Amino acid sequence: MQTSASHSPSLPTARQTTSVRMPGPARHYGRYLYLALNAAILIFLLAPIAIVVVFALNPTPFIQFPPVGVSLRWFEKFFASRDFMQALGFSLEVAVLTTLSATVLGASAALALARGNLPGTRLIVATMLSPLMLPAILTGLALFQTYVLLDVGRPTWGLVAGHTLVTLPYVVRTTLAVLHNFDTRLEEAAQNLGASPLRTFFEVTLPLIKPGVMAGAIFAFIVSFDQFPVSLFLVSPGNETLPVTLFNYLKFDLDGTIGAASVVSIVLAFVVVIGLDRTVGLRSYVKL
Amino acid sequence: MSASIEIAGVSKVYDGGVRAVDTVAMDIRQGEFFSLLGPSGCGKTTTLRMIAGFETPSAGAIRVDGADITHVPAHKRDMGMVFQNYALFPHRTVAENVAFGLRMRGLDKTTIAAKVKAALAMVELSGLEDRRPAQLSGGQQQRVALARAIVIAPRVLLCDEPLGALDKKLRQQMQFELKQLQKKLGLTLVFVTHDQEEALAMSDRIAVMNGGRVEQVGTPTEIYDQPKTRFVADFIGDTNIFRGERVGPNLDVGKNLILALPATEAQGAAVLSVALRPEKIRLTLRADVAGAAGSSVHGMVENTNFLGGAVLYRVTLEGGHRVLVQQPNAGTTHLFVPGNGVTLEWTPADLVVLKD
Repeated sequence: MQTSASHSPSLPTARQTTSVRMPGPARHYGRYLYLALNAAILIFLLAPIAIVVVFALNPTPFIQFPPVGVSLRWFEKFFASRDFMQALGFSLEVAVLTTLSATVLGASAALALARGNLPGTRLIVATMLSPLMLPAILTGLALFQTYVLLDVGRPTWGLVAGHTLVTLPYVVRTTLAVLHNFDTRLEEAAQNLGASPLRTFFEVTLPLIKPGVMAGAIFAFIVSFDQFPVSLFLVSPGNETLPVTLFNYLKFDLDGTIGAASVVSIVLAFVVVIGLDRTVGLRSYVKL
Repeated sequence: MSASIEIAGVSKVYDGGVRAVDTVAMDIRQGEFFSLLGPSGCGKTTTLRMIAGFETPSAGAIRVDGADITHVPAHKRDMGMVFQNYALFPHRTVAENVAFGLRMRGLDKTTIAAKVKAALAMVELSGLEDRRPAQLSGGQQQRVALARAIVIAPRVLLCDEPLGALDKKLRQQMQFELKQLQKKLGLTLVFVTHDQEEALAMSDRIAVMNGGRVEQVGTPTEIYDQPKTRFVADFIGDTNIFRGERVGPNLDVGKNLILALPATEAQGAAVLSVALRPEKIRLTLRADVAGAAGSSVHGMVENTNFLGGAVLYRVTLEGGHRVLVQQPNAGTTHLFVPGNGVTLEWTPADLVVLKD
């Protein structure tokens, strides 16, 4: 019966054909809708950045739309301010130190977790990732109280430790991901060819997990550079990171300097990502 | 210089009590092509990994040229290995892959370059030095893996199903090349495979493994013609196995079938199994002859399976036994069709008595 139905040009068969194949124009509408939705999402994501840029370039000392002109006076003011420059330098210093410590610690931890046959691996992973789930302000407060209890003051290393705590999960996560797909026979092949375990790590393991470690390092840098809640509790007066300085500035003034500072931050983030891409060839591993 | 390997009562028991390898003992001679053959899970790969040093035996010892290496770490064993999926370093070029072992041995750059060049020429990959493994075909990757393993002039070359991923034609070609290379270099080669044809074709000797134990060690002809156990007879090639009770010089296997035992098997167990290879049976149309009792029997062709060079028949005997018979497609032989009444004949000496 089935065969006869498919062979005869009866009505049900004909109707089936039309319902499966959408006529041309309808398919085009679907495509336009899809493109429009994507455009909307992009605008939603990028609009705040665009507004900041417009704000930074607008010469009037308050937020105004439409902008009345283009000027670099807020950038001038930002770069001329000793407070801002000091904060920018300190933020970069903290971000670099944080990236180093979070990357070394996070990658080592991920290796131990993936290879070490440790008891309670899942629990350890969950603990390591927990700073991602907790509000950063709680982490900041907890660290602040701990430092007070230990009576260590507010040293730079304390701030770096705090930032390391909240950026570690990114490195652990991205490194675990590449380790998950790692073919351990490659390490066996290296040892078979005479490479000691240490040599195997540097010749084979590290180059192959580099994409994951690098992705984690980029996250660590950006999250640290951008970190506010943890820094708020841990910076010492006169030695503040850029987000904290911006926040303090905002309390009294609201002019384009804030916009200019934001634009500088955005550009710096791009520079870091592109710089890493150029030096370690990120693009050959990860699609950015 | 190639070495001999002695595996002395080696066992591997994993956490949870799984006995992957159970008191395996074998001597692999210098310059020998030695295969570990068996179904998956028989312990052949675990045995190879213990020779390579990737696993530590739970008991027993492994000796190379008489020296105990049971606890020597893998990177100090001086053995080459070709992995199942080649395990080429994806972040390095072909030349860098081949150079790796030489670099670890601290050779100078010019020596390394010369050796890499020679090794790549030997496996016919000259000109592909700067490619990445991902840019090579399966057969080429296989050759790189081989070059990488032999360039260090290993004492032993270990191969873990190295041809498994290749298509049939390429595989046969690589079988010839590998065997030729092994003879030319005088390499001691331990070859793991589950493919009995491959093992028979390439090996000087074969160890057939099952359930973590060695069932039989022997040359390909010994393994094929004189299987010692039921497992070996069954695993290697097609075979007919009969089990029955000894009655005088004969074996009564039931259903009105009595087989004459070979003269050499006049004494022994009362209940035993025998194997008879399909190609040792001669097939004629039933009317033609009246065969000798105990080594001939009547039956009817049930199925034919044309193999090209030979024809495989499934014949139902009068008593109900089903027997495989293989006849060469030699032109002079008659091609039977299903329904033909036939007489089967064989020489009693071709019956092989098996240990269970």
